Amino acid sequence: MTVGTAPLLRMEAITKRYGGVRALEDVRFECDRGKIHALLGENGAGKSTLIKILAGVVQPDSGQITLDGQPISFNSPAAANAAGIACIFQELSLLPDLSVADNIAITRPPMRFGLIDQGAQRRLAEEALARVGGEDIHPLAPVGDLPLSRRQMVEIAKALARTPKILILDEATSALTAADVTKVFRMLKQLKADGMAIIYISHRMHEIAELADDCTVFRNGRYVETFAAGTKSDDAIVEMMIGREYSSVFPPLPEKKSGGPSMLSLKGLSWAGQLNDINLDLKAGEVVGLGGLDGQGQRQLLLALFGTLIGVTGTIEINGKAVKMSNPGRAKSEEIGMALIPEDRKNEGLMLPMSVRDNLSFASIEGFSRFGIVDRKAEAVAIDDMIKLLNIRVGDIDGPVASLSGGNQQKVVIAKWLMTKPRIILLNDPTRGIDVGTKQELYELLRRLAEGGAAILFYSTDYDELIGCCDRVLVFYNGAVVRTLEGAALTEHNLIASAHNLPTSTKAGAAQVFATEAAS
Amino acid sequence: MATMVMKRLDKATMIAFGCSILLIAIGAIAEPNFISSDYLLQQLQTASFLGIIATGVMLVILLGHIDLSIPWTISIGGMMATAATGFFGETLGPFLAIPFGLACGAAVGLVNGLGVAYLRAPAMIFTLGMNAVAQGLMVFHTGGFAPQDRGLPIMRELATGRLIPGVPNPLLIWIVVGAATIFILTRTTLGRRIYAIGNKERAVYLSGVDTRRVLLICFMISGACAAAGGILLAGWANRSYQAMGDPYLLPTIAAIVLGGTNVLGGRGSYIGTVAGVILITLLQSILSVIQPQLFFAELGFRVPAEVFRQIVFGVVIISMLLLYGRERLQR
Repeated sequence: MTVGTAPLLRMEAITKRYGGVRALEDVRFECDRGKIHALLGENGAGKSTLIKILAGVVQPDSGQITLDGQPISFNSPAAANAAGIACIFQELSLLPDLSVADNIAITRPPMRFGLIDQGAQRRLAEEALARVGGEDIHPLAPVGDLPLSRRQMVEIAKALARTPKILILDEATSALTAADVTKVFRMLKQLKADGMAIIYISHRMHEIAELADDCTVFRNGRYVETFAAGTKSDDAIVEMMIGREYSSVFPPLPEKKSGGPSMLSLKGLSWAGQLNDINLDLKAGEVVGLGGLDGQGQRQLLLALFGTLIGVTGTIEINGKAVKMSNPGRAKSEEIGMALIPEDRKNEGLMLPMSVRDNLSFASIEGFSRFGIVDRKAEAVAIDDMIKLLNIRVGDIDGPVASLSGGNQQKVVIAKWLMTKPRIILLNDPTRGIDVGTKQELYELLRRLAEGGAAILFYSTDYDELIGCCDRVLVFYNGAVVRTLEGAALTEHNLIASAHNLPTSTKAGAAQVFATEAAS
Repeated sequence: MATMVMKRLDKATMIAFGCSILLIAIGAIAEPNFISSDYLLQQLQTASFLGIIATGVMLVILLGHIDLSIPWTISIGGMMATAATGFFGETLGPFLAIPFGLACGAAVGLVNGLGVAYLRAPAMIFTLGMNAVAQGLMVFHTGGFAPQDRGLPIMRELATGRLIPGVPNPLLIWIVVGAATIFILTRTTLGRRIYAIGNKERAVYLSGVDTRRVLLICFMISGACAAAGGILLAGWANRSYQAMGDPYLLPTIAAIVLGGTNVLGGRGSYIGTVAGVILITLLQSILSVIQPQLFFAELGFRVPAEVFRQIVFGVVIISMLLLYGRERLQR
């Protein structure tokens, strides 16, 4: 790099912590005019945090950012916008009740006599839409009436209407149709030719191969490497994204038992385009993992099984008998015996201001009641047993559950469901945000439950967990199971490759035999 | 034992009871008769009507909803009970009057519950609408023909008699209704679910509870309680009339909130509501005895007593809400 041609954007030694959690540690990143720079990494690698810093949503704890050679810092998204940085997030930032034109011009609507110039605003919106190839969208239509893919196009048009110097796309194409993706790619290449700097985040490797000039890989909050696109194989890139040490926190996997009738059997389960033809056989004593990138339908599968989704098609069989899961009450009934440990314990698992006692017995309270009157002695005995079993550290059992630590709160959620004596246990990312010690206890608990005859379906965003805990893992992509990994084929490399819908590594050699491609 | 009792009484309940004692003391200075047992018993009897009505509304508020159809549900209860002899004849009427009045109130609650729980309509709008519907129905009822509006002997007896010497019947009914409510709230699965829904309905639903049924039950109890209040009021006044429930909406909600029940649901004790009801009743009584509006009239502000009372209620509710809201922020 010669003097005078400093990159448009340079970030150096960026560190960001959330409480005790390190999101970014001494990270650097550069991008330049007329280049598309892909940012790669696993879930939680720190990509989103970096983007949020660039967009002014969060401030780094330390580090320097220079734009055009000038040091800058953004204390708000508006400041980042003013500096010429526009972001397109995967969570849509549109206001559904306003029109397309209103949304596109929302940060700086054209004014006349102190009022919004509707005509000018509409022309501006039409131009912006035409630029991204969304001419079919009427500028005066309310955004809420548009399908998801059209909304995403509006989102892109909105970002471009600000004529940014740097455009950031964070998983912006995941909601688009194939035809739209083609249009957006053509547009991105044109913008690149016009000299815009583009930062592109996607989990779809083929998109990156098609678009990117440069790639930067992050892992676990740290910078790994920057290289020119096309100089590394997909395998090598996946290798770079892995690399965390394996820890021996997992209990040993038992010998694989053969046969046994399946407790839960799914045939062709589909829902609203987010679940496509899921087939599964879950036997007693099995822990089956759900893998893949976040948001590929794993949560929807658990919610569908628990009876919270309307319009699920396909059959669910419990012990060989077809059942209709109409609501969570049905799912937890004696006949089915299902439990769902939800992902969001503060909103879905607990009533935070209520006592530990009331929370613990809440799902199983019918068991301690006659004619709706609670037998408080029986309840107290069962609660004490459960607290001992899970080693929950409670100060005051009649104090609010909100006063417990995150790990102990999670134990309360799990204990609450174990008190219903479930035979099929669904876990939705249960170790998120809890300490390592508690995690280890949970892994051991899962194994004990499985040995006790429970069938467990375990979704986790942590690949290590899936490898360490599960007998086999179903890898999701776009709402479908693309691959089932088990035995020696259950490696982090294969998990990540499958999550990106790439063929599993040939390096694993014999392991390939175990990796069974799902029929599609 | 004493510490147990103290522990169960939260701050709001203590404040409400404390204010009640303060009011009695102020009243006693103005009018020595205030601390006579006759007067206090009479106050408790008056409080009973409000207390019974507030019981059902409290359950709905604990759920995080509200029932604004109270005024005309009270009227429906009173008017339908007195009209029962007209519907069912002279022989059956007296037996069916009270069950019929209660059933009509519960029916209003049923519609409220269906609307809020199953159609997911906001309770504030839906129950307000039901109040108007109930009003329309009652106007139609009195307009079409001359309905029987006299209280039946059994209603008079319930409202004015003393089954147990020294204890007015309405107070006895309130004690029974209150004891049942305390039992439901503390000892039954329904009670646990009511508090839990007020705290986090989503978590309750995901725990496999039919939350809609709980909502429906509570709205029906609320309607039935309001109707019970209406029946007693009709017995007390020896007749039913339109708008007989109108003065009760604000005092009902005020009593519940003053008693420490969180207006957003999930928190509150029935003892608190009892304290709030007594406080509101004493406040009303004292405002009419010491007539502070006369003092303001001397200063040049001429306001009718009723208007003054309304203003005081409003100010008290707003002050208490601010007080509780701030307490929460500090935590």
